[in-house]
Amino acid sequence: MLRLNHVQKAYGTPEQPIPVLHDISIDVADGEFCAILGPSGSGKSTLLNIIGVLDHPDAGEIELGGVPIDFGSATEAARLRNQLLGFVFQSFQLLPRLTAWENVALPLLYRGTPRPERKPRALAMLDRLGLGERVHHLPAELSGGQRQRVALARALIGDPKLVLADEPTGSLDSVTAAEVLQLLRQLNRDFGVTLLMVTHDRGLAEACDRSIEILDGRVVSDVRRDG
Amino acid sequence: MMPRRPAHNLEVAETLREALANLRAQGRRSALALLGILIGTASIVAMLNIGHIAQLETSKLFSHLGADMVQLRAMPTGAAPAALDRELIEQLPARDPDVAWSLPLATGRAQVAFGSQRHDMLIVAITPALPRLAGLHLERGRSIAAIDQCAMVAVAGAEAATQLSSPGNQLMPTGKVAIGDYVYSVIGTLRPSFAEALSPGDYNKALLIPLDCARRVLGSSAPTTAMVRLRPGADAEKAGARLSGMLANASSSIEVISARQLIKTMNEQKAVHTSMLAAIGGISLLVGGIGVMNVMLMSVMERRSEIGLRAAIGATPRDLQLMFTVEAGVLALAGGVAGTLIGVLIAWIMAQYSGWTFDLAFYVLPLGSGMAAIVGLVFGLYPAITAARLHPIEALRAD
Repeated sequence: MLRLNHVQKAYGTPEQPIPVLHDISIDVADGEFCAILGPSGSGKSTLLNIIGVLDHPDAGEIELGGVPIDFGSATEAARLRNQLLGFVFQSFQLLPRLTAWENVALPLLYRGTPRPERKPRALAMLDRLGLGERVHHLPAELSGGQRQRVALARALIGDPKLVLADEPTGSLDSVTAAEVLQLLRQLNRDFGVTLLMVTHDRGLAEACDRSIEILDGRVVSDVRRDG
Repeated sequence: MMPRRPAHNLEVAETLREALANLRAQGRRSALALLGILIGTASIVAMLNIGHIAQLETSKLFSHLGADMVQLRAMPTGAAPAALDRELIEQLPARDPDVAWSLPLATGRAQVAFGSQRHDMLIVAITPALPRLAGLHLERGRSIAAIDQCAMVAVAGAEAATQLSSPGNQLMPTGKVAIGDYVYSVIGTLRPSFAEALSPGDYNKALLIPLDCARRVLGSSAPTTAMVRLRPGADAEKAGARLSGMLANASSSIEVISARQLIKTMNEQKAVHTSMLAAIGGISLLVGGIGVMNVMLMSVMERRSEIGLRAAIGATPRDLQLMFTVEAGVLALAGGVAGTLIGVLIAWIMAQYSGWTFDLAFYVLPLGSGMAAIVGLVFGLYPAITAARLHPIEALRAD
């Protein structure tokens, strides 16, 4: 499903590069619920950005669904993100002046889906995530957990091959965080969504099928659990 | 394989709807940017429409007499009153190939009394052909005719008739008016007429009498002015010089006023005004454009995380550029439409104030709005490119 081959990335100037990722190779199978665990500064966010085609690696290759990713064109990258990926952010990143369903439908807008098709699909997706009663609410009128559900619905609406979640519970209290994790779990099991979650929370990582620990830009452990 | 999509896949209607929603969300700031464009467009539209009205007014000044009119006026050279040779004036068409027709006339002022009314009035002594050639129309009665010759008959202009009338004593044909020391019979009254540039005076305020025997009230029966209509294509300047040479005599020098000369002077003045107003309008529009750019740049900076999010979920750089360009265009177009309406309103107010007839120059409607939209698109381009070039990660981080 996802294959990283000797991926390297450094920031800083060409004269004084600051390496962030050293030679990372990972394979994520279809339907896996995988955590990338690491403290801040470990390079896990950079890794997620590269997998999310938001940033390009200095060396190495990435294959998504068997197709090598071309990082050369910003337009092509946007298409890949739109077609293959779903994003969930720590700060939700909902557009405040759009209602829940309009936020959810946004990826379809950039796919060129006509408006009459977008609305029913967004409503159905929100319904699946248990927000059927809140579709016309603005983000400000929703609780943190509800907002993250809207964000999840937005990530899933385009039927992505892979959903990338960056500290998805980082802005939530522990009860709500557990709920969202439960939901992710459920989506992974019931709908077969492949999930890649970045977190610094070991407890959260241990709830996943697999956790890959990163430290100083290197994979230090890769643990699989039986789900 | 992934299906190919066009580089930007948003329908125009979608983009417009988004742009309107975004602008509404920005409220007051959008309104301020709009104001600059509005003022610029309003001044340009007002200027163009006033120019259009002024042109109509100018052409009205020559509507009956035409642009080929030349007025030759006798100016006294010494103590003797200025006078022209009437026969010579009447022979001008035969003597000069450029002259279509030529009318002698004399003007002066005299005390006019009717009933209890007594006024100092303009007297125009004419030959029978003048009313028709000058486009004067009768309200009542008849005009001065060849048979009147030396008769004591008068035709009253519309305002003059009103001025001389008193309640219960209307000035009408067959009424008697005293002009100076003589009693004239009123044979007709005129409809109101438009005072043209080359009229010897405002016929509305005048009494017309036969030039023959005008000596009774004007002191002389000799004409003081020749109204000459040149043939189309004649050189007004050369013909004027030639005719004034023919008409000049010991007691009078000739002043030549040609319609073409007047029109040229008016057009020159208008050109100065127009270019000045165009410059002011252009500068306001430029300032408005910079306002749009400013607002759009601020909007791009404030909405960085939105731009990052949109990029993350699949907006291409062109989608983002289009989004901000359309926002700027819509903003400017709204300002342009409002400015056009206000500009037309200003032109209307100016026309009322100047006593001109308002006429809408239809071409200003698309022109004003279109110019504003173009300004918006041009000045919106840089902010839009800035938005398209933002790196999604940095944009997402900008919370």
